[in-house]
Amino acid sequence: MSQDKLLAPLTTRRRPGRGVSPALRGERSILRGIGVTLLWMVVAISIAALVWMVAQAFRDTRAILDDPWGVPTSMDFGNFVRAWTVGDFAVATWNSLLTTVVSSVLTVAIAAPCSYYLSRVDNKLTQGLSLYFILGLGIPAQVILIPLFVMLNRVYLTDSIIGLNLVYIGVSMPLTVFLLTAFFRSLPLEMEEAAALDGTTAFGTFWRITLPLAKGGILTAFILQVISHWNETLLALTLLQSTEKYTLPVALISFVQQQTYSGADWGGLFAGLVIVVLPMLIIYVWLGRRLTEGLTLGMGK
Amino acid sequence: MTLHLTEPRTDGAPVTSPESRKPVPRKSRRGSRPGGSSIDVQRKKLLIPFVGPAFVLYTVLFIVPALGAVWISLHKWAGSGPMKFVGLDNYGRIFRDQLFLSSFGNTLLLLFVVGTAIFVLAFALTLVLRDMAGKKIARNVIFFPHLINALVFGVLAGFIFNPGGMVNSLLAPLGVTDPPKWLAQDNIFPLIMVTLVCTTTGYFTTILMAGVDRIPPYYYEDCALAGASAFQRLRYVILPLTWDVFGTCAVLWTISSVKIFEIVWVFGGSSGAGVPPTQSWTAAVYTYVNAFSGQSTPAYGAATASAVLSLALISVLVVLLRRAMRRDAVEF
Repeated sequence: MSQDKLLAPLTTRRRPGRGVSPALRGERSILRGIGVTLLWMVVAISIAALVWMVAQAFRDTRAILDDPWGVPTSMDFGNFVRAWTVGDFAVATWNSLLTTVVSSVLTVAIAAPCSYYLSRVDNKLTQGLSLYFILGLGIPAQVILIPLFVMLNRVYLTDSIIGLNLVYIGVSMPLTVFLLTAFFRSLPLEMEEAAALDGTTAFGTFWRITLPLAKGGILTAFILQVISHWNETLLALTLLQSTEKYTLPVALISFVQQQTYSGADWGGLFAGLVIVVLPMLIIYVWLGRRLTEGLTLGMGK
Repeated sequence: MTLHLTEPRTDGAPVTSPESRKPVPRKSRRGSRPGGSSIDVQRKKLLIPFVGPAFVLYTVLFIVPALGAVWISLHKWAGSGPMKFVGLDNYGRIFRDQLFLSSFGNTLLLLFVVGTAIFVLAFALTLVLRDMAGKKIARNVIFFPHLINALVFGVLAGFIFNPGGMVNSLLAPLGVTDPPKWLAQDNIFPLIMVTLVCTTTGYFTTILMAGVDRIPPYYYEDCALAGASAFQRLRYVILPLTWDVFGTCAVLWTISSVKIFEIVWVFGGSSGAGVPPTQSWTAAVYTYVNAFSGQSTPAYGAATASAVLSLALISVLVVLLRRAMRRDAVEF
């Protein structure tokens, strides 16, 4: 129902008379003209760069080096095949996909009830807990890197996809709990109250009333996790050691480093970059609005 | 902290404003009064099953390691074998380490110089975008780099700034026969800074715009009627009303700039040893190399000391920022 609107208020524009009210129309300074031109140039260059990167992935290394401005003459998937087989991108893509989906689903599944509780019960304890969760937003990954490695090593969870998943879930808690708590707070209480009057249990109201209402916010939180887990590099680089466990960013780094010895394979590298970027582009085109709103909302701290 | 969130929401979604809840006072959100309704009592019993899993995972995998970092930073330890308690020695040691000082200096450069550039540009872009035709498209495009792994930019830079690469081939027709060595060890860090400005500005522009879009248009009309110049409008309307969003952005940038690692790690391709040239190290790279590079005996103590200092930097700056930004929050 109206949850889209509830999620959106930060960017909601007041249609009637937004920026273009007659009082404002008159101003057209040179400075502004320059600004607008520059901005459109930046936009054009950004799009061109993306298209260029994808195009290069279909050309072989020599062609790329001879003429970096060229366009592919045919749809040649050789680079992708080579990256897929030689560069171990096949395994890495699978690992990334698995890690991203599993950890994001679990993160949201674990954070949602917690956020619900924190948003609906208001006492000293929940206030303290909320603060405790927010604390994590300010801790950079390099702080927990070494202790985490030592701890996981003791229980044989380094160099393991399961270990990496657990770590991702743990470090994602602050942002997800923060985001979802704010979101649950914004939901109207009337329906929960009605359900409670009808004799639904506390768990029942959460499961049957609030969760369906909160679909939009939960999806946003999920997508944000997908993006951050897909791109996460430092923790994966530290915790994974064997090639068959690598996620995409780690595989990409090792591919770059191999080239020092085996000569630059730019074709393969561009294919690798495209494999990293394309899923993000698809998600962005598909769910872009929800995403920018979620991110600008998530920044509320 | 939640103020930023709830405040704009209530004006966009009147359903949730406190007034509309008045008719049902017994079950207001602050439903924790003694003798609250049965649903509240029931709800409270869900503490363990609802909050428990998140609390345990977060504590074990985030808070315990963070405290562990402080503990390890007080020891001399190579990762295996005995830990030797040395007190604050590690901190003294890294402060005498030229490499750490330059790495930490680079982090500060990212934080302040790149930060300032991003903010000035993002704010300028916001002003340009505010009432521009097609602003949605422009905004969506400049936001996208935020979703791309910074590794990608690092690798691409290596290709573009190669001696025989695209930049030089562009410069050649302009008569530049002896272009600078872009990827020389000393030049890499400034290039990283420029790249970061280019790729991060869009994200902050999006956030600032969300703030500027919240300003009701009648303020602008008022300005026009009162004959305010563009600068006055900026100074007396836009800036004060987006001040809190600026504060938020500053906090965000402080936290994210201290973590910067990937782009430095691969910038300009590999230098051969698998470790970037020391001139471009940041504090995060220093931590990683000292612990995991396998080039020398791991110095876990010094590495975590560096990380803990980064955390201290963030904490101090966030507290200062919150204090500086608090007084000017304008309700509207």
